[in-house]
Amino acid sequence: MSSHYADVPENQGALAPVDVKSEQLSLQDPRAVLSMLEADQMVAAKRRTHFGRKNLSFGAKALLWGLRVYVVAMLIIVLITVYQAVHVGR
Amino acid sequence: MDSPDKNPSVLAGQTAHPTTESAVASAAAPELIGLVTHEDVDRARDRWEVARARWTGRTKKFGGFRLLWLLVGPGVLVFLGENDAPSMLSYSADGSRYGVGFFIPFVVLTFIMGFIVQEMTVRLGAVTHRGHAELIFDRFGKFWGFFAMGDLVFGNFLTLVTEFIGVRAGLGFFGVRPPVAVGGALVIVVAAITTGRYWTWERITLSLAIFNGLFIPAAILARPDWHAVGHAMLTWTPFPGGNRYEILLLILATIGATVTPWMLFFQQSAVVDKGMQPRDISAGRFDTFLGALLASVFAIAAILATVPLFHHGINAADFQAAQFAEALEPLIGHTGAALFALGIFEAGIVAAIAISTSSAYAFGEVLQTGHSLNRPLREAWPFYLTLFGSASAAAALVLIPHFPLEFVVLTVNVIAVLAMPPALAFLLLLVNDPEVMGEHVNGFWGNVAGVTVTILLICAGLGFGLATVFPKLLGG
Repeated sequence: MSSHYADVPENQGALAPVDVKSEQLSLQDPRAVLSMLEADQMVAAKRRTHFGRKNLSFGAKALLWGLRVYVVAMLIIVLITVYQAVHVGR
Repeated sequence: MDSPDKNPSVLAGQTAHPTTESAVASAAAPELIGLVTHEDVDRARDRWEVARARWTGRTKKFGGFRLLWLLVGPGVLVFLGENDAPSMLSYSADGSRYGVGFFIPFVVLTFIMGFIVQEMTVRLGAVTHRGHAELIFDRFGKFWGFFAMGDLVFGNFLTLVTEFIGVRAGLGFFGVRPPVAVGGALVIVVAAITTGRYWTWERITLSLAIFNGLFIPAAILARPDWHAVGHAMLTWTPFPGGNRYEILLLILATIGATVTPWMLFFQQSAVVDKGMQPRDISAGRFDTFLGALLASVFAIAAILATVPLFHHGINAADFQAAQFAEALEPLIGHTGAALFALGIFEAGIVAAIAISTSSAYAFGEVLQTGHSLNRPLREAWPFYLTLFGSASAAAALVLIPHFPLEFVVLTVNVIAVLAMPPALAFLLLLVNDPEVMGEHVNGFWGNVAGVTVTILLICAGLGFGLATVFPKLLGG
């Protein structure tokens, strides 16, 4: 591969490679825009495709619930501490 | 259940893992040609510059520097953004209350933890081109997504308030009235986001962030004992003495000054907005390392700048930003104190920009509206409205008479540490998901490091909780 064509995204198929030696890139041409971006970098592509929902294992669910309980318990402790600090301050 | 239209991968029986496909190679390519947006054009322009720099880097001496210059940004911004007003005050509290000792190497450790965590967000962003909030909603569903968002929004808003407290206090040292200081800061935040271009926003914010280095001359003016600094780095001593509960709180606040949930959301979204691709991951790692390095040096400088207060026995237990500067003035001179106050102002303003942007990215990703700084205002007004609205509300709160500013500053870093383990759990689940990460899935040592950081944070939080509920445990 010619060195100055080496850095356009791979698998460009029908799109003409972009010459990185040239000073200007005409982004008026949507094909030039496509050639610089990966498929899922396009706003339209991101709107259409989403990662599917993952089925969480029992262990993962237990971890997330455990951490949720931890956060709520800790926030209650923080609130108690702050209340006490403000109360003592007065 | 997601609709087939929204989630074609469910119908197809496979997950959309687009990173190995190009726009042209995918079936959607002919349609995409007609759907190029302003955001795509701006991002393509940035990629064009990167492609040219990569080519130049191979053919010209020192050409690689331009490539790094182009790709550095999110990592430096996230770490210098996290060196925010409450963080710098936490470091100042470390220095003024315990001098040179345990907290110097401890701060370095927290930044190593920060680097381990943030590097994962670089990979996630570069590989998936999706923000953190979007991925959590996609992969774990709305139930867990809203929990994660709740933590983020609550923590971000409290932190934003503290940034404007820092702005107010920093400029207060120079006699600037609070409405002028806070209003001026808001104008700077708005000016940065109205460029309509991620690249310009990033460079403006970076140029502001580098002034975090003001703590270095302030530290030099404090004439630190470099021998003691070296000794502390090697031995982690002297360990702080006195009230153990206060020490534990300060340890928690110091951790919270470096690893917080907003950083995960911000850096991943910024990596996406910058248009980074898997081939940029090593540059992203360097960017993150550079950010962690600079931020740790500036954090240690803040500690050293306030050590004279410790040597003179000045009780800085309840000091705020302006009080630190005022107390330092007779010890390190007016210039040193002014640099310290300016540093607090800068820390507040850069963090206000970064944190409000983090909230806006997350909202845009969840609501599936435009969420890019490359979008003009008319196309992404909900994104900009969230950004401006959160900053304005935080700024307004700071100006309310008798608002308990000290309470917010004291608790914000502690809350950040407590909210971090669930955020890290989502992060670790995502970077270990081969359907999301492909070949960039976390390795064994990456998981060891990530799990270790999570366990350390949980232990720190539990220690705080136990010490609060059972004060006699710490001899209190």
